Amino acid sequence: MDPEPRVLVLTPDFPPAPGGIQLLMHRIVRHADRLHTRVVTVDGPGARGFDAAGGLDVQRVGRGAAGRLAVATLNGRALGEAARFRPAAVLSGHIVTAPAAALIAAALRIPVVQYLYASEVGPRPRLAAFAMRRADAAVAISAYTHELAIAHGAPPARVHRILPGVDLPAPDTIPRADRPTVLTISRLSERYKGHDVILRALPLIRARVPDVEWIVVGDGPLRPGLERNAVSQGLQDNVRFVGSVSDDQRDRWLRRAHVFTMPSRLPAVGSAGEGFGIVYLEAAAHELPVVAGNVGGTLDAVVHEQTGVLVDPADHVALADAITDLLLDPARARALGVAGARRVRELAWPAVARRVEDLVLALIAGTRPSVADGA
Amino acid sequence: MCGICGRTLDPDGAAVAAMNRALRHRGPDDEGVYVDRASGLALGARRLSVIDVAGGHQPLSNEQADVWAVLNGEVYNHPGLREHLRERGHRLATGTDTEVLVHLYEEYGDDLVHALEGMFAFALWDARRRRLLLGRDRFGEKPLFYVERPGGLSFASELSALCQGGDVDGDLSAAAVDAFFVFGYVPGPDAILRGVRQLPPGHVLMWEPGAERPALRAYWSPPSCEPRPADPRAELVAETRRLLEGSVRSRMIADVPLGVFLSGGVDSTLIAALAARHSATPIKTFTVGYDTGEVNETRTARATAQALGAEHHELVLTAGDVAARVPALLAEIDQPRADQALPALHAVAKLARSEVTVTIGGEGADELFGGYPRYRWLARAARLERHLPARLGASGARALNANPLAGRARRLAYLLDGRPLLERHLDWVTERRSDLRADLYGPRLAAEAGAQRALDDLTARVDGRLDTSVPGALMRLDQVHWLPDDVLAKADRAGMLASLEIRTPYLHRDLAEFAASVGPDAHLEAGGKALLRAVLADVFPAASGRRPKTAFRVPAAQWLRGPLAPTLARQLAEGALYAEGWIDAGAARGLAAEHAAGRRDWSQVLWPLLALGLWLDRRRGLDGS
Repeated sequence: MDPEPRVLVLTPDFPPAPGGIQLLMHRIVRHADRLHTRVVTVDGPGARGFDAAGGLDVQRVGRGAAGRLAVATLNGRALGEAARFRPAAVLSGHIVTAPAAALIAAALRIPVVQYLYASEVGPRPRLAAFAMRRADAAVAISAYTHELAIAHGAPPARVHRILPGVDLPAPDTIPRADRPTVLTISRLSERYKGHDVILRALPLIRARVPDVEWIVVGDGPLRPGLERNAVSQGLQDNVRFVGSVSDDQRDRWLRRAHVFTMPSRLPAVGSAGEGFGIVYLEAAAHELPVVAGNVGGTLDAVVHEQTGVLVDPADHVALADAITDLLLDPARARALGVAGARRVRELAWPAVARRVEDLVLALIAGTRPSVADGA
Repeated sequence: MCGICGRTLDPDGAAVAAMNRALRHRGPDDEGVYVDRASGLALGARRLSVIDVAGGHQPLSNEQADVWAVLNGEVYNHPGLREHLRERGHRLATGTDTEVLVHLYEEYGDDLVHALEGMFAFALWDARRRRLLLGRDRFGEKPLFYVERPGGLSFASELSALCQGGDVDGDLSAAAVDAFFVFGYVPGPDAILRGVRQLPPGHVLMWEPGAERPALRAYWSPPSCEPRPADPRAELVAETRRLLEGSVRSRMIADVPLGVFLSGGVDSTLIAALAARHSATPIKTFTVGYDTGEVNETRTARATAQALGAEHHELVLTAGDVAARVPALLAEIDQPRADQALPALHAVAKLARSEVTVTIGGEGADELFGGYPRYRWLARAARLERHLPARLGASGARALNANPLAGRARRLAYLLDGRPLLERHLDWVTERRSDLRADLYGPRLAAEAGAQRALDDLTARVDGRLDTSVPGALMRLDQVHWLPDDVLAKADRAGMLASLEIRTPYLHRDLAEFAASVGPDAHLEAGGKALLRAVLADVFPAASGRRPKTAFRVPAAQWLRGPLAPTLARQLAEGALYAEGWIDAGAARGLAAEHAAGRRDWSQVLWPLLALGLWLDRRRGLDGS
């Protein structure tokens, strides 16, 4: 018998694949010292090396499969893993693993904790409703996601808001750039992240900060169009698309920049946009003030006028003014950045993992979980 | 909506007052002139009151009276801009968008254009720095003509007004007449008169005393529509709807009654359906039909209006109306225009003006969302060419071309024809009028008959994009050529001659950038405009399932044999176009006789000649007006 209860973690998203959900799952598992976890996830490029170096119990399935097939394989293989592993609880990292989680829970009479973000809900509202109804507890990553969970049928008492966390950077001495630098970090695959609006704002920023440079970290199918539009607006000297970069380089940009921006908006029906935005915390951890949209999960990630400035994410003039004001007022930018860094210390991953552990342990013990909002 | 004008060497404002008088139809409600005596600059405006009816007098200044502005058009995002400006400490005295310009200039300088969303042409005078800034909207919805003189500049919303300012001394430009004959409109930045220029869409112009020339700068151009991986379709449809709904809402802000132009087609039906959803009271819709010809859209439009609960108004343009109104309209318009839909648009604008001051219309949907069959056919042609031996295609095309062609046979000929795609595009949109130039051109145009200027113009604007995507390149080409210089100029003049403002929800910058970003394939499925059709099916299911719209053919051929035949005959006998040696009267008479006898349909050639001839006679003072 293990000293720690066994928890089976089902997730289609796990590093080395990039992204916020991947990171969240990994950090929860890595820091959940009071649980004995086994992760069942999909295979992918670089997975073997990552797992070997990581020291976690990770089972990879569906080698070579993609999309729905990979998810189906994941669900199928999860049942077998559960039979072998005999967990005391299941943590379902995404609504697509809710079917397997529900079957395991029914077979082994154990509780299910279901994670909910936001963007996965729009395309699969029925699956989201299934997951919300069947889970013993739902973890919402923001107040916005909390509402989404309830809207999809989760009993309010079973929804727990646990904000995602951040890796606190080691102190360093990299100075801010000489040139006024605005930074955005995101895959360039979803329109709702607002790169189009930043591009519209840039000429107005340049009107008052002539040598401004916008650094766009990330890659994806939207990149060629954004690059073309930048050139057609004569902005080639004010925008740099640096593509996907290593974690080190990314941290370096976070140190070099003066303002971080990603004005995520609520997309039209079809997906639900930014559930939280871990990257905002990463910016704050590097003492970078954030300018973002005043909607969705961003409201939990950035505190308006305290760690950043929230504006109507479709209003390029408001965005331009907010960014410009910070570039022109370094003292205020610094104050917001320092306040952001102070705030994220409470959102370091070990603290976040502890909240998740508390919830899982309470369910296993059969007590009514009470988890403090991590904010 | 208004008309604006100005002159840099007009210390008593007399030239500007004269130009202003010629703009009366654009702004019957109010007029104003500002003169900076020290620097000799004068600005003028005529106003059609739409926003802040009481407080919107122009020209208008900041509190220090050192920045002055005149504006023609609408800045739709002005309520939000006003809020920003207030937050930044500006004090605004009126509710108008013109005042917003003045304060944005203080904030952003020449880059203020990047803050504006709408249809506009404006002039700003910075009296302190002695600097004039002219700007024009991104798509070219509102016109702005200018002429340079040594040390100075004058400008006006319409060419005919500019001529009243005393600085236009050039006669017709042979190159522009040639371009007009080929395209049916004069492509900007040229104008029909020598020395006159149009400020290109998406440009600003800066002038300072002492500078040799004014400086022109582009601030926006339509993004290229290039192939990309397919996005989830539901997401694209939802995003199209979100953006279009927002745009319709923004275009419904007015302090005066507002209506919708409704034809039987997808574009206007969708706009009307969205407007009806957003309106607390029944919307007013307006439609025009003809008493001749095969296609009558009025029935479909009426059914649509009924289903939307709209208060519907319709008008039939009869042969009698055509005889009575069309010659005067073609003569009166400020630059010659050969678009055969102009009379109907003008007639429905007059009808609407009896009920409303502002209407919204579907302009731009075809160009942004891939509506024209040409895009698909020429894309097919490009694909086919990779597989078919060139000689085989060319002989097939020759065989098809031996006979007068119509419909699909003609499209097939374009498909097989081995010539460069842009030449086929040019032929398609211009009905091959180029081929007739050698016969028709008189001595004053003789040097133009062999010119390749039209093709060179298109080649320069396409700028290699055909290699990336044929339909994408052609859509963008239409957005920078046909859209501003035909479609939008026609809508502006037809509306303004009736003192009616026409607003265009499809021409929203965000919507245009989104439409380009999805790539051409997403548009061209389902017979084109696939995204708009899908949104229509969502918001107005009653309209889907109807047969697709047939091209709205103007019965120009019948009109030229009937109600317009006497005018055409008079033109050929005494018109300045022939008497001055622009067009060879004998050759034109030959075509007119064949047309009258019903042996050939030459309406695509006779109509531009009629439009140009009537316009020239008016300019020469020969038509008794």
